[in-house]
Amino acid sequence: MFKMKVSFVSAVLLTLALLLAACAPAGSGAQPPAAGDDSLVIGLVLVGPRNDRGWSQAHYEGGQFVEANLAGLQVIVFESLNPADKPEATLAGVVADMVAQGAQLIITTSDEFEEDTTTVAASHPDVVFINVSGDDALTGEAPPNLGNIMGRMEDMKAIAGCAAALNTQTGHLGYLGPLVNHETVRLTASAYLGARHCYETYRGEDPDTLQFDVTWIGFWFNIPGVTLDPTEVANNFFDTGVDVLLSGIDTTEAIDVAGQRAAADEAVLAVPYDYLHACDSSPAFCLGVPFFSWGPAYLAAAESVARGQWEQSWAWYGANWDALTDPAQTTVGWVDGEGLQGQAAADLHDFIAKLASGEVDLWAGPIVLSDGTVYVPAGQSATDEQIWYLPSLLQGMGESR
Amino acid sequence: MRVELEKISKSFGPVQANRAISLAFEPGLIYGLLGENGAGKSTLMKILSGYQPADSGRILLDGAPQRFRSPLDALAAGVGMLYQDPLDLPPFTVLENYLLGRRGGLAIPRRRAAGELRELGARYGFEVHPHERIEDLSLGERQQLELLRLLSGGARLLILDEPTTGISAAQKELLFNSLRSLARDEGKTLILVSHKLDEVQELCNRAYVLRKGELAGEAELPCPNKRLVGLMFGQLPSRPARPRPEAGPPRLELRGAAVRSPRLRTQPTDLQVGAGEVLGLAGLEGSGQELLLRACAGLLPLAAGELYLSGVPQRRLDYLTARQLGVHYLAAGRLEEGLVSGMTLSEHMALVNPNGLFVDRAASKAQAAERIRQYQVVARPRSRVEELSGGNQQRFLFGLLPPDAQLILAEHPTRGLDLRSSDWIWGQLDERRKQGAAIVFLSAELDEILERSDRIAVFFAGRLSRVLPAGETSVDELGHLIGGGA
Amino acid sequence: MSRPAWLPRLWPLLPSFVALLLTSLLLLAFGASPPLAFGAIWEGAFGNQDRLLTTVAFWIPLMLSSLGLLISFRAGLWNIGIEGQFILGAIGASWVALSLQLPAPLQISLQMLAAMAAGALWAGLAGVLKRWGVHEIFGGLALNNLAIILTNYLIAGPWQPPEGGSFRGTAPFHADALLPLVGATRFSVVALGLALLAFGLVVLALRNSAWGLRLKALGRNPRSALLLGVSSRRETLLAMAFCGALAGLGGAVRVLSWFDSLRQSISGGIGYLALMVVILAAFRLLWTPLVAFFFAAVLSGSVVLQLRTQLHSSLGNILTGVLVLLVLLFGNLDSLRAWWAEWRAGRRRS
Repeated sequence: MFKMKVSFVSAVLLTLALLLAACAPAGSGAQPPAAGDDSLVIGLVLVGPRNDRGWSQAHYEGGQFVEANLAGLQVIVFESLNPADKPEATLAGVVADMVAQGAQLIITTSDEFEEDTTTVAASHPDVVFINVSGDDALTGEAPPNLGNIMGRMEDMKAIAGCAAALNTQTGHLGYLGPLVNHETVRLTASAYLGARHCYETYRGEDPDTLQFDVTWIGFWFNIPGVTLDPTEVANNFFDTGVDVLLSGIDTTEAIDVAGQRAAADEAVLAVPYDYLHACDSSPAFCLGVPFFSWGPAYLAAAESVARGQWEQSWAWYGANWDALTDPAQTTVGWVDGEGLQGQAAADLHDFIAKLASGEVDLWAGPIVLSDGTVYVPAGQSATDEQIWYLPSLLQGMGESR
Repeated sequence: MRVELEKISKSFGPVQANRAISLAFEPGLIYGLLGENGAGKSTLMKILSGYQPADSGRILLDGAPQRFRSPLDALAAGVGMLYQDPLDLPPFTVLENYLLGRRGGLAIPRRRAAGELRELGARYGFEVHPHERIEDLSLGERQQLELLRLLSGGARLLILDEPTTGISAAQKELLFNSLRSLARDEGKTLILVSHKLDEVQELCNRAYVLRKGELAGEAELPCPNKRLVGLMFGQLPSRPARPRPEAGPPRLELRGAAVRSPRLRTQPTDLQVGAGEVLGLAGLEGSGQELLLRACAGLLPLAAGELYLSGVPQRRLDYLTARQLGVHYLAAGRLEEGLVSGMTLSEHMALVNPNGLFVDRAASKAQAAERIRQYQVVARPRSRVEELSGGNQQRFLFGLLPPDAQLILAEHPTRGLDLRSSDWIWGQLDERRKQGAAIVFLSAELDEILERSDRIAVFFAGRLSRVLPAGETSVDELGHLIGGGA
Repeated sequence: MSRPAWLPRLWPLLPSFVALLLTSLLLLAFGASPPLAFGAIWEGAFGNQDRLLTTVAFWIPLMLSSLGLLISFRAGLWNIGIEGQFILGAIGASWVALSLQLPAPLQISLQMLAAMAAGALWAGLAGVLKRWGVHEIFGGLALNNLAIILTNYLIAGPWQPPEGGSFRGTAPFHADALLPLVGATRFSVVALGLALLAFGLVVLALRNSAWGLRLKALGRNPRSALLLGVSSRRETLLAMAFCGALAGLGGAVRVLSWFDSLRQSISGGIGYLALMVVILAAFRLLWTPLVAFFFAAVLSGSVVLQLRTQLHSSLGNILTGVLVLLVLLFGNLDSLRAWWAEWRAGRRRS
């Protein structure tokens, strides 16, 4: 009996071993480091794989942008640093190894790393640290060698929400949310505000009839068994009447599922997120993508470190409205997708122009939280800090996890 | 096929099972391989059938030396062995078992194979139902199936290890007829490993007798039994008659007890066994006596009725509770239910006689050594139980019985044992009986039941049909009763 | 007979060697130099004191879980639920850490006890399910998922940090709840001491205790064990609980030293890794810590490997995966035993 069990469970374990071995997607080719003595080395720590066509890839390409634009500079990357993929690795260990390889600037590219970056920065005072999306430099918790960078994605999310509202037939939008924190709450709310505005202004509908549902999957990307499966969530949205799905997660499930269902003649569309080329899997059903382009911000940081002139700051980079589609010139941007056509495209560009000129202020009061409290009274406009620390979703948004 | 064994030797640890044995087997003849337990018959035949390698010596088939890496290898060369416990896989169907171990492509032509199997069965007079599950078959039926599998695999030499143990008289008759025709009409070579002299005399043309790992002699058959026994034992065992005392207070009582299995539901049964009494359960295999015996130990639940141990009613009895009450069960498969393969004799001692939190190795070794001496086990304390011969395993199992056993329930207590070992085992049981234990046993050997029991309970088709004093019946009457006669 | 006699002697070095070879080929296919890559792994695992201590720190919970599995495997149980037991241990320790504030020695002892109790309880559940006819593999897998769900619920709900639930983890525990660490590493002397103690205990239990003998009998032949008076129910539950307690201790070490709070993926598959360790060690006592250490070193070293070569990030996982695969291909322990016995018999004759 035991022997029979051995062979059976051997098979189970074999599968397990294969799964563990094949978990991460295939990496790209080798680039053996050949750092010169005086060249600047940047360490880039990613929370997901470098080729996720989302958040982490945007950072990875930002690193490549710096490499291409600053001679003698080398970027070393550590990807998928999260306890599920790499239980054996810690940020402190990775940073120590990067420093041992000569890194003078280390960029930790997730709010997952915020707390650990503060500690690690304190133990490497000679190295400059930048935590993307954190606020420790704002709150004063950061040691002097730690700064923050974030892109003002809120405007782009408003554009995404607008594009969705301009194209919905059912009046029901879905939002694939990652986990709940200040960043995701304010971005999701921005998308809702953009959607409301355009639903009313350009389509002449009552914005209160616009249904906007958010499902939090639990993490930035799918971790089988840990998070909700975003593919399942996306399908569920489309099954329940949503016809335009916005993505707030690092990976491309929203556009992938929309593409599959559109191929089966369903009238569905999606707005992916994070990465300039995120539309590529199903371009025809993509309304456009709000993207991060970390290259310019990283280049500025690298240059100041190289010159020895880096200073601590909490930098919330806005869009370069004149070059909204050029990743070399803006930190956050928007590109139209093939799915955006005709009047909707024209309306969207009108909206973008009004946002850029300041004619439209989506954060003008009244802003009412989901529990009914007035966050920003009528007649006022939310401050940057009010937007940054938005405590909850807004009235009118549906939420589940 | 002419088969020769040349100077085969094999030892297990300290035990030399075969010592330079040389034998020859001619085609078209049936050979008996005789010997008491531990004489080396099974070892030798396992070597011949590729189940285990010899330490030294050669096997020649039609003059060509062979090296078998596995039973499958041996079968490919024409040597097939039918084990005492068929090597089939109980959860599978008859057909699946037949297909298993056959060489050939991956695609299994099930329908064709089923037809083939039926046809083969018909040729040798066996009734085969390809889609029945192995676990639902009797031992005899499983044996027939195994035989068919070997024959279809191309066996020209068939080795049968105690083939009549545990099968019904009718099945035995069927088997013997098939075997005779295999030798006479198809020119196969047959080897019957047995300790039953009558069967060997009845079936075989020639006998080889092993004793203590060596060839003791050979004989053309038939010949006087006395000559064979002389070769096997060197001396004739004597059987002391034992007095039959009055039964003491009841140790076991069944009132309307019924047991259910997937194949059989026994009728409500009333039965009482007293201290110092030996009750033999007679019946064809699968008549319900096995189920009832297991239920008495709490190994199977009662479907109805009541069970009393020493007058105390037991509800939902489980074996561990029963054991606390002095009930001990000796199952037929010693390595399947009884001893733990891979564990030494000392470890078994330590297991049944726990001595505090930690194992006192010296003490358990000493205990094992004492039992080895007292129960005449050929082994050492550090031998693993699977290295022992069947008889020695049984002796050791008796050695593990605590002295205060109240009720001993035994399946086939002497199955596969020679006369002297059987006598010895019964001597032990008699000792227990004298100390006040009640003994209930079942056996396929009617003369054993007749000789050893005080009373005999006869089972037929799930029903206890008769309880009679052993002194007032005979083999003939018993045979009549277990066959359903009134 | 025809099998090479030297094979069992080299176990498990032989599959390791073949795995090394295969991985080298893989590296070559990626265009990387195998010596450079293995050098990077070596340096990442043992390059300096901090790295060595980090490797040891990762090894400790892995070792504790593997030790637990030795017990459950001895009883013939496939405790795949060890991952969940590990997580429950982490939860148990976190519960005490978040709800009590006592002097450090008392606080930490209580946390360890709570972790062991929680792990044992979770394992016991799998044992009870087994009694009801749910095989421990399926029960275990279900309980693993439940443990993850429970973690997510706790860190997003009742135990969320004051600044709001982020699904990342709880707020860091207070200083007295955490194990004292050596330097800037996650290595804790207390944890190492506990792991060594556990090793001694498991050796004692399996080699010398009457309980170990009962487990052995149960694992090898439950029917015979029953007839010899071994209670399969009781021993199954005890073996599971023992294993769960050790895994729970591993979970506690993980939250109290590797991390400083209960995190979303607190285990990250250490329980499954432990299963592989024990199988690779062929269920043997003395090989288990060594194999666990080998796994820890390879995984730990692969961090530097990735930084140096910028190669596939899960090369370490591939190496360990290939290893276990090969071990399974090389056959199970029983056939090895047979070869071994044959070889020894052959040697005695000549």
